[in-house]
Amino acid sequence: MSGTKAKDPRFPDFGFTVEEGARSTRVPGGRTIEEMEPEYKIKGKTTFSALFKNDPFDFWVGPFYVGFWGFVSVLGIIFGSYFYLNATVVNGPFSLPQNFFAGRLDPPPAEVGLALVSPGQPGFVWQMTVLFATLAFFGWMMRQVDISMKLNMGYHIAIAYGVVFSSWVTLQIIRPIALGMWHEGFVLGVMPHLDWVSNFGYRYNNFFYNPFHAIGITGLFGSTWLLACHGSLILSAAQYRGPEGGDIENIFFRDTIVYSVGESGIHRLGFLFACGGVLSANLCILFSGWPVQDWVSFWNFWNVLPWWSGV
Amino acid sequence: MATMNRTPGDLDLGPNPQGRIGKAIEIPVLENFGLDSQIGPTFLGLWNVAAYVTGGIFTFIWLAVMAIQVNWNPVAFAKYFFVLQIDPPASFYGLSFPPLNQGGWWLISTFFLTISIFCWYMHLYTRARTLGIKPYLAYGFTGAIVLYLVIYLIRPMWMADWSEAPSHGLKALLDWTNNVSVRYGNFYYNPFHMLSIFFLLGSTVLLAMHAGTIWALEKYAAHEEWDELQAPGTGTERAQLFWRWCMGFNANAYSIHLWAFWFAWLCGVTGAIGVFLSMPDFVNNWFQWGIEAGIAYPQFPQPSQ
Repeated sequence: MSGTKAKDPRFPDFGFTVEEGARSTRVPGGRTIEEMEPEYKIKGKTTFSALFKNDPFDFWVGPFYVGFWGFVSVLGIIFGSYFYLNATVVNGPFSLPQNFFAGRLDPPPAEVGLALVSPGQPGFVWQMTVLFATLAFFGWMMRQVDISMKLNMGYHIAIAYGVVFSSWVTLQIIRPIALGMWHEGFVLGVMPHLDWVSNFGYRYNNFFYNPFHAIGITGLFGSTWLLACHGSLILSAAQYRGPEGGDIENIFFRDTIVYSVGESGIHRLGFLFACGGVLSANLCILFSGWPVQDWVSFWNFWNVLPWWSGV
Repeated sequence: MATMNRTPGDLDLGPNPQGRIGKAIEIPVLENFGLDSQIGPTFLGLWNVAAYVTGGIFTFIWLAVMAIQVNWNPVAFAKYFFVLQIDPPASFYGLSFPPLNQGGWWLISTFFLTISIFCWYMHLYTRARTLGIKPYLAYGFTGAIVLYLVIYLIRPMWMADWSEAPSHGLKALLDWTNNVSVRYGNFYYNPFHMLSIFFLLGSTVLLAMHAGTIWALEKYAAHEEWDELQAPGTGTERAQLFWRWCMGFNANAYSIHLWAFWFAWLCGVTGAIGVFLSMPDFVNNWFQWGIEAGIAYPQFPQPSQ
């Protein structure tokens, strides 16, 4: 773009360079999915075909790409949904729509520890649902890797999905193992999981004093704020017909808040805010009940810091 | 491109370049992280100067009253910074004006904070109009303004009790959030709180999805979004196909920003509704409300599994 300045030779470009000709592919008004999709539907370039000669899963069903990891993910979805829905909705205590909201799957009782529960015993269905959900989530993440490889993209989407997958793993697997019992996993169910979160917040006195919770919430509010700023800016400039629309966006933000982070910068910043907030949220759960039992008295160290303990 | 009109004015400063101050400062190393390397020039006008002044008065009152509370001892100020606060008037005073150290400073500082927020709205609005783009950032800001007004002004005035508003202070804001939930029977059962959380987490998901997609496609220039809106290229095509292949449908370079705007805006607005309804006149206990609405089940039968 004409607004781009010459690079300072003292600072080598570790960032990105736009591939030759990428801009010349722009078509006024764009192409429809029907027009463009056949160009991109190529065979191969999957994780499976990188390891083996043939990839029997390398096909689409309707709009969906399947692939080996799609197959794995669908298995997880089918079996996980079977265990969950059969126990909570189909055989729940109320009517079907009520069961959808009220249905609950409790983790195994504390005395089970980290053992696997046998069928029919309390917690078996929870363990099966968690197992297959984990399989489905992991498969979904790897499927995003496959699609990224096919489209010759970076792996950022799969990494972002991996961050939220890490929340599931932290809450349902890592923290229960750290505390020595599956009982510490969260209750599955629409309303019951809200009850669990509410109780969890006060079980360690008050989650509002958990600094990792505060950073996580800051990441979420910051993400919502960045999303509002970015979304509204692009919409506001969409009908602008000056010579360089990208420049008017930068000028607007320099005028209002002195600095514009730029077209690539806002997406990098947004990615880091969203992922960072969720990673901090992982820590706030992981540390509760493991090293920290009480987030209010956790702050006692603050008052006795040597430089102001006498004040 | 043939239909474009050349805008009048300087290309670097955009149309209507009056009122700019400062020169562009270049920090080239920022380019290495994909961030824009230019800082300034910026704009000074009636509305943002008014916003800075009134916001500065709010900040000055806030810091000064907190400093008085620790007898201007800087070490104590640093130590207790997070827990110092200016409280609103006690319920005893209703909406009348109390002595300065019993809520008067809170009323005065909140007055200036509110003026500052409205001036900032006008700043965003008038700047967009002057530059010839739509004032959608100002419109998006209304989501946050409505939430602020409900929490600090509308709900306390409706209840004729300034003490329902949060104190000014860092820990105080967390405490208010905690207490309003507990006082009104647990906000987890407040459906508008549920919606607000849905849009909050949904905004984070949308941001991660959109930002990840564009970052992954920078080499195809997908981040040049204004250009991609006029004429989508291979970067945008790949972005669309990724989500079509992954989840069966996709937005496009324009509509993803519509999703973004509405998710973020609704987070504030649904939250404002949820806070406003939490008062004895409307819903005194959200847990009780949830039982009556059939979404809370305190007497869940012992599960068979």
